[in-house]
Amino acid sequence: MYTSDFEEIASLDEFGSADRLEVFIEDTPVLLIRLNEQFFAIEDVCTHDGQPLTNGCIEEGVIICPRHGARFDIKTGKALCMPATKSIQTFEVEVRDRKIFARPVN
Amino acid sequence: MSTPSVNTSAEIPAGFGEAAFEAFLTTRDEPDWVTQSRRQAFKRYSELLESELNPEEWRRVDLRALRPDRFQLNAGSEISKDSADSKHAETLLKDQAEFAGHVTHIDGQLASSDLAAELAAKGVIFGDLATVVREHSDLIQKHFMTRAVDSETDRFSAWHAAFWTGGTVLYVPRNVVIEAPLYSLITLQTEKAADFSHTLIILEEGASATLLEETASTTTENLGLHMGAVELLLAKEARLRYVQLQNWNHKVWHIAHQAGRVDNSGFLQWTVGGIGAKLAHIHQDVVLDGRGAEAEVNGVTFATDKQIHSFYTEQVHNGQGTRSDLLYKQVLRDHSRAIWRGMIRVEPEGQQTNGYQRNDSLMLSPTCRVDAIPGLEIEADDVRCTHGATAGRVDEEQIFYCMSRGMSEYEAMHMIVEGFFQTVFDRIPVEVVRETLNQAIIKKLGFGR
Repeated sequence: MYTSDFEEIASLDEFGSADRLEVFIEDTPVLLIRLNEQFFAIEDVCTHDGQPLTNGCIEEGVIICPRHGARFDIKTGKALCMPATKSIQTFEVEVRDRKIFARPVN
Repeated sequence: MSTPSVNTSAEIPAGFGEAAFEAFLTTRDEPDWVTQSRRQAFKRYSELLESELNPEEWRRVDLRALRPDRFQLNAGSEISKDSADSKHAETLLKDQAEFAGHVTHIDGQLASSDLAAELAAKGVIFGDLATVVREHSDLIQKHFMTRAVDSETDRFSAWHAAFWTGGTVLYVPRNVVIEAPLYSLITLQTEKAADFSHTLIILEEGASATLLEETASTTTENLGLHMGAVELLLAKEARLRYVQLQNWNHKVWHIAHQAGRVDNSGFLQWTVGGIGAKLAHIHQDVVLDGRGAEAEVNGVTFATDKQIHSFYTEQVHNGQGTRSDLLYKQVLRDHSRAIWRGMIRVEPEGQQTNGYQRNDSLMLSPTCRVDAIPGLEIEADDVRCTHGATAGRVDEEQIFYCMSRGMSEYEAMHMIVEGFFQTVFDRIPVEVVRETLNQAIIKKLGFGR
């Protein structure tokens, strides 16, 4: 069960030059994405096959599942094409003092 | 033969790296061959961590959140009677029947054990593995991880072989029949505790026994890890009924290698109940070695919330005229997930094999998910092997019909779920197990409502 409080999940320094970081929020694998200096966080599990989205390509705000090509909007979590039909959980992200906080969007 | 100095008050670092392993070894008082096999297994575990897991077994199981470094082994200091009594685990089987003996473990360490005097007089051994391995070293060395569970199978079996903490041993001599069931309770009590229990059952020729084993947590909140193993070794014409009821809280990771081997005309009835755990993955092998060996495998699981119940089962027919019959019934609700990958394998010598496997899943919510994959690999040409899997939602019309007869939705759902499980309940001859599973289901149906 998620709490509604923001939880510290990473720091900006951990990113380095990467565009994404794997973190956990209460045992849920979460993919933290940096896109044009904006941060997004999504549950790192494809709703189609239950496997990670970690290495999926990101194109125009959409992450593409590396196995079967399902697409999800990284801002809203919405499933945009088959074979996925269910949205992924998204998280609200805040950056304070180079620390990154997140909480689930209901 | 024993390690020269044993320090049961030593602090074992969290995790399962080299420092934790060496500290763990200093807390053990056991024969040299055990220490050597642990070192060998730890080396293998370290190597296997670098290699990929078998995708057939693991591709659907997400282990990213496991993070072993969070868990810590108990150093092995005495679990006091007060401690054992003060925090009762919410057990389902304890006090439900008269048992001929019991063994209780807390956080991987023995809390208490006993055995009826008349059985001990007949040569029956029933107790904690850590103790029995010292008192009956030759017997255990002959059977421990030599025939059933192989420490080389994957990183989890090697991990268990390096760090096993205790567990229940049952040895029944030739032609000794134990009528009353025996009981084993494995509990997790401390936050982030790790339990590496190993259950070893050895039935000599013509022996017969029933062991009911239960896993339970003392709180609903504490994170825990169970990295277990079960070995069931049946000699010619032996009969074993073994029940394992997994009832951890929803924060425990349960990973286990379990294997049974049955010799000529032996009969193994193996019932697996899966109710608890955050993620449970069981690798279950039933190997029928001798002519006319038989095994009946029953599975009853009920997952709710975001639980994951995963089974990788294998029925291996090595001997002629063997019979295996596997039936798993799985119920899911909320965002839970069930994975079952089953295989019947018949070796060229397994002529006149009769193999059956079936998995049925009932989904109570549109958001749960089942992956059921039966399989056959047959190398003999005179066999009868059948398999199948079904998955479906509860029929809304059945619920409507029940409600039109005056039942509440909850009562209707319970009746449908109970009816779904009935075919597997009918195969379980131990009444206390049937009743306990039914009570657990009733309780679980009310969970979260």
